[in-house]
Amino acid sequence: MEFEYIVDGVPRKIAVEKKNGTFLVRAAELAFAADIVALSDSEIMLRVDGRTTIVYLARDGKRKIVFVDGRTVVVLEPDAAAEAFSRADEKALDGGLQIRAPMPGKVIKVQVAEGEDVRKHQTLAIVEAMKMENEITSAIDGRVKKVHVAAGELVDADKMLIELEPKNL
Amino acid sequence: MDRTDTRMMFKKILIANRGEIAVRVAKACREMGISSVAVYSEADRSSLHVQLADEAVFIGPAPAVDSYLAMERIVRAAHEVGAEAIHPGYGFLAENADFARLCEKEGVVFIGPKSAALELVGDKVRARQTMERAGIPITPGLKTIPKDRAEFERAARTLGYPVIVKASAGGGGKGMRIVHKENDLGPALDAGRREAKSAFGDETVYLEKYLESPRHVEFQVLADNHGATVHLFERECSIQRRHQKIVEETPSPALDGALRAKMGDTAVRAMQAAGYNNAGTVEFLLDNDRQFYFLEVNARLQVEHPVTELVTGVDLVRQQILVAAGEKLSLRQDALRQHGHAIECRVYAEDPSNNFLPSSGKIFVLKEPKGPGIRCDSGIYGGWSVPIYYDPILAKLIVWAEDRDLACRRMEAALGDYVILGIHTTIGFLKDVINHPEFRAGRLNTSFIKNNLDGWRERAGGEDALRLALVAAAFDDLNSAARSKAPAGRTAAKTGETPWTTLGRWRIGGA
Repeated sequence: MEFEYIVDGVPRKIAVEKKNGTFLVRAAELAFAADIVALSDSEIMLRVDGRTTIVYLARDGKRKIVFVDGRTVVVLEPDAAAEAFSRADEKALDGGLQIRAPMPGKVIKVQVAEGEDVRKHQTLAIVEAMKMENEITSAIDGRVKKVHVAAGELVDADKMLIELEPKNL
Repeated sequence: MDRTDTRMMFKKILIANRGEIAVRVAKACREMGISSVAVYSEADRSSLHVQLADEAVFIGPAPAVDSYLAMERIVRAAHEVGAEAIHPGYGFLAENADFARLCEKEGVVFIGPKSAALELVGDKVRARQTMERAGIPITPGLKTIPKDRAEFERAARTLGYPVIVKASAGGGGKGMRIVHKENDLGPALDAGRREAKSAFGDETVYLEKYLESPRHVEFQVLADNHGATVHLFERECSIQRRHQKIVEETPSPALDGALRAKMGDTAVRAMQAAGYNNAGTVEFLLDNDRQFYFLEVNARLQVEHPVTELVTGVDLVRQQILVAAGEKLSLRQDALRQHGHAIECRVYAEDPSNNFLPSSGKIFVLKEPKGPGIRCDSGIYGGWSVPIYYDPILAKLIVWAEDRDLACRRMEAALGDYVILGIHTTIGFLKDVINHPEFRAGRLNTSFIKNNLDGWRERAGGEDALRLALVAAAFDDLNSAARSKAPAGRTAAKTGETPWTTLGRWRIGGA
């Protein structure tokens, strides 16, 4: 069976087929035999050329988080990857005008008001999570178009906090 | 327990904390034949400490001020379940003299110093005054709290920038801000006050001269209620970020026998000057000229206490409980020895590739390292969700080995075996700290991270690892496709997948 995934933005194809108790793998130009055993719901033993690797795998919707040799690899299904890309594109095109919460937390303070000019690196708001204050700073010189939150509010990751606009508009 | 008067020993202890430290204390209680009571907030209904304690009492909503910092509620809970003593762990109410006093008034034993000693050392400013009077060297800084902003500014100018804003009521990096110029002092004071208020319920801050790159060396002290005080040697905690320790070890590579004896003796004198009882830690800054300065007393069990336990063989939580029950210390200074080397790495729910941003969410897979000389003090389990409300510490990985080099290698291997999937953690970062040539050489100071690992990014795995990850992913999808074809359909129902969504992700006929 052939599968297609996206890892770090790069599409990867892999074919795995079970034959006489072992597995034949084809990935890019490589073909090899592997012993593969599910040790538990989240642990998979792979043996290739006599070398054994234990791989840990978590399923999170259309995303698999795979841990191999001390490194974490996030494996996306193609449609999940497409969604992630469009979000990233939006952010890139947006040029730092949308200030969003980097993690879930509580807004401690909003340091700017609508219509106010802001400098690059200026602190716009402070969001507290896990008892640490995190300063949310501006990536640009600009002006505050709209403030979406108030001090004391609990916010989710990616929640819009503040919208900026270019200064010379 | 051979010397314990069993009529005096507690039968039940309430643990006023959560996470790994509540688990640690519950285990000590179990070994001592004392029953343990957990308290929990709305966010911790199914947390590990609740599972491990013999009883659990709900104390309120998720925010700590309404639960783990709610003194009356916690003391009431102790009365309700008939606990004779409260262990506060670290953080939350551990160094709160009002809480210790409330316990004293309510006839519940606070497992920690008496309220008067706690009040003295908990007030960093008063502690500095006391130490200076006792002839103990202190870091340059304020010995009184300025009245207003202008007075703070004058004081900072006198000390000379950089200065550090510190919370008078606490440690752990909360409320601290380094200030390099006068313009930044106001905002730093405001931020420090807010953080201090939220972490300790007290917004008082003061200033110290900021020493650029000292070592942080602290001494563990135990004092009973009968006048005996011993130290259990040092811990070096120079590896810090955001003023929070992340790697600790003992012995310190910087001390020799003479300096160790001198600092240990000073630590004991400092605690005696403060009239201190139970377990506590005297923190020093040590400069390149081997001069040391009293920094503060941590009037609690420290996060990093396990390294001391591993080299001295003394169970510090058990000692705390014995002392609180009125026992005399059975430890004698001249009989205490350091044996081998221990290192601790703190595993935080933070993203080291992204400015150590806190990372909450579900832990899908957890596998903790095991093996000779490896200890993992953990407050988490696979399937648990890390709440946003509390300190991001997840667990502590501690290793012991015959010498420092072997301990580093053991730590490196153990970190490699540590698997936490679903949230960001500091494990990969810690590996690079332990592997760093400067760390291996023992050349440590509090600027180590800034100087050596600033802007750290998680490295991607090699092509081989990537290929194995893809094989595993494909194997998993192959299996779930097979499962969803199973006649009973139980698996599909359980995961919420239908054959259609499962089948949609692969193409048939490849091989």
